[in-house]
Amino acid sequence: MALATVARLTGDLQLAEDAIAEAHAAALETWPAAGIPDRPGAWITTVARNRALDVLRREARRGDLERAATAALTALESSPTVVQPIEDDQLQLLFTCCHPAFAPEVRVALALRFVCGLRVPEIARVLLEGDEAVAKRIQRAKAKLRAASIPLRLPPAGLLPERLPSVLECVYLLFTEGYAATEGDQWVRTELCDEAVRLAVLLARTLPEEPGAAALAALVLLQDSRRGTRVDDAGRPVLLPDQDRSRWDHGRIAEGIRWLAAARAHPDMSAGSAAYLLQAAIAAEHAQAPTWERTDWPAIVAAYDQLAQLTSSPVVLLNRAIAVSHADGPAVAQPILLALAEDPRLARSTALALALADVAERSGDLTAARRHLTAAEARASTVAERSHVRRIEERLDGLASG
Amino acid sequence: MHYMVLLYDNEANATMPGDPEFEALMAGYTAFGELGGTAIVGGDALVPAEASRAIRVTGGQVSVTDGPYAESSEVLGGYYVLDVPTLDDAIELVRHIPATATGSSEIRPIAMLMPPSTDPVPAGAVRYVATIHGPTSEADVPGTAAWDERSAAHGRFASEAGSAVAGGAAIQPSSTASTVRVRDGELLVTDGPFAEGAEVVGGVYLLTAAPDAVVDIAARIPVPDGGGVDLRPILELGG
Repeated sequence: MALATVARLTGDLQLAEDAIAEAHAAALETWPAAGIPDRPGAWITTVARNRALDVLRREARRGDLERAATAALTALESSPTVVQPIEDDQLQLLFTCCHPAFAPEVRVALALRFVCGLRVPEIARVLLEGDEAVAKRIQRAKAKLRAASIPLRLPPAGLLPERLPSVLECVYLLFTEGYAATEGDQWVRTELCDEAVRLAVLLARTLPEEPGAAALAALVLLQDSRRGTRVDDAGRPVLLPDQDRSRWDHGRIAEGIRWLAAARAHPDMSAGSAAYLLQAAIAAEHAQAPTWERTDWPAIVAAYDQLAQLTSSPVVLLNRAIAVSHADGPAVAQPILLALAEDPRLARSTALALALADVAERSGDLTAARRHLTAAEARASTVAERSHVRRIEERLDGLASG
Repeated sequence: MHYMVLLYDNEANATMPGDPEFEALMAGYTAFGELGGTAIVGGDALVPAEASRAIRVTGGQVSVTDGPYAESSEVLGGYYVLDVPTLDDAIELVRHIPATATGSSEIRPIAMLMPPSTDPVPAGAVRYVATIHGPTSEADVPGTAAWDERSAAHGRFASEAGSAVAGGAAIQPSSTASTVRVRDGELLVTDGPFAEGAEVVGGVYLLTAAPDAVVDIAARIPVPDGGGVDLRPILELGG
């Protein structure tokens, strides 16, 4: 957060980054002897602000200060001498990282670096890319930010409808990057989920006129409420039907439901906002259901129906078919799933094979169920997925022999 | 902050003076001129690309051919130079340029601007736009030694060419480009130049010279090896 505040004060991300690095070095030198200050964030921000001010003054004396930097120098000199980092600055930096002049993959890398404060190797692990490629992408973006004079600011209200979608998309990506993988650097992933939830809520609070922001806050809070129950003690994934609902985060669920209501209170919204809202509505149905069996499946099917109108995502259609299998029974869902199996985009889908196995099992056709599980196992791309398929196979073996 | 806006469009969308569509298009540009006001530092429309001459330099060997430097369906049809504080301000103007609604408008930050001359065009002379193309390199990045070297070469060219150089701009590398389109009223911004590989590299000159002398002048513009110049007459709209 300190970086965002110094970036606002200086109007220069590179200068802010260098100043923060120097402030951290100064902290390493002085804190061990002098003790950690009462407000470490303010300490770092203040030291960094002073370093940046020194740099600008030095450049001004040499007479090679650009016009924008001259304004920054004037603003810095009149800023308070003790600076508290503030959340709004982070939001401002988030909008800059998500500027439409950056390609989507650049935005996520920039947000991970400058808003979430991850280092390049951590970003590379999160994005499953090489260190060098990530470093280069960030370097190039910083050069563009500076050369093209991309402003460090919250866009004016008139531009928000155009600028907000890429910000919401990026925050949701941060969340799913942290949430999706059960392998890898656990500490970073936990941090990432928390950070994405915090940013989504901050956006919703700051932009009460934007239903998309409220809907995204609801969505990530509701999904994140299940985080602690998604993996068992042995590190194996636990799917929704088998999760211990008493251990879901009921504080997050309540907060998510409040944001969902806030989003629904808006009379009209963009298709993108509606997509977040419908996904949040589905998550809310699950979060509020006492058990898997007593979930309001018709409500979930209805939400997926609306979602399918907004997106051509085959995953939405697959999830809709699974909901249909619970709302109307496996016999109704089976032909829908078989039709989806013809979609080339789902040709490698483990989830589709698993859904087909599930409806076959529930229709009493264990032979077909086994066939679909064999297909699922062949498609499984991670160890966790493969062991999940095996556990179902073992359960079927138990059913057949018992 | 100066930005160069390069307007790429399908020439099938182009109209010439006298066409009924031409008047409507001109009204659109007049409206844009009023909207931009003093933020518009310069700008010109170009004659169709078939009038271009391509000057290529390979290993010091210069060759000149008729036709544009790079063949593509969307070609440079004009440019603007804007003076606005940030890229956001530039995008807010560029979205209202008529060509942005049919083609692609590439926004390039300018590193150094030689403002267009306001001197009257001498009798017998024609105004041209010369765009530099070729492989990207470190010399495209201001602050590097390679850039300084290239700048010095441009300085020598400009002083030798004298009054034939009526303006120009050294522009930032294509990695700093943003391309703007408006379709169905929706603004679409993409990262990077309009046409990777065929983009303008290094800069643009405004030349004023007699048609029989201009190619010799343009052939002396410093270009990256393996690159060249697209030389195109400006469409004089009068007034």
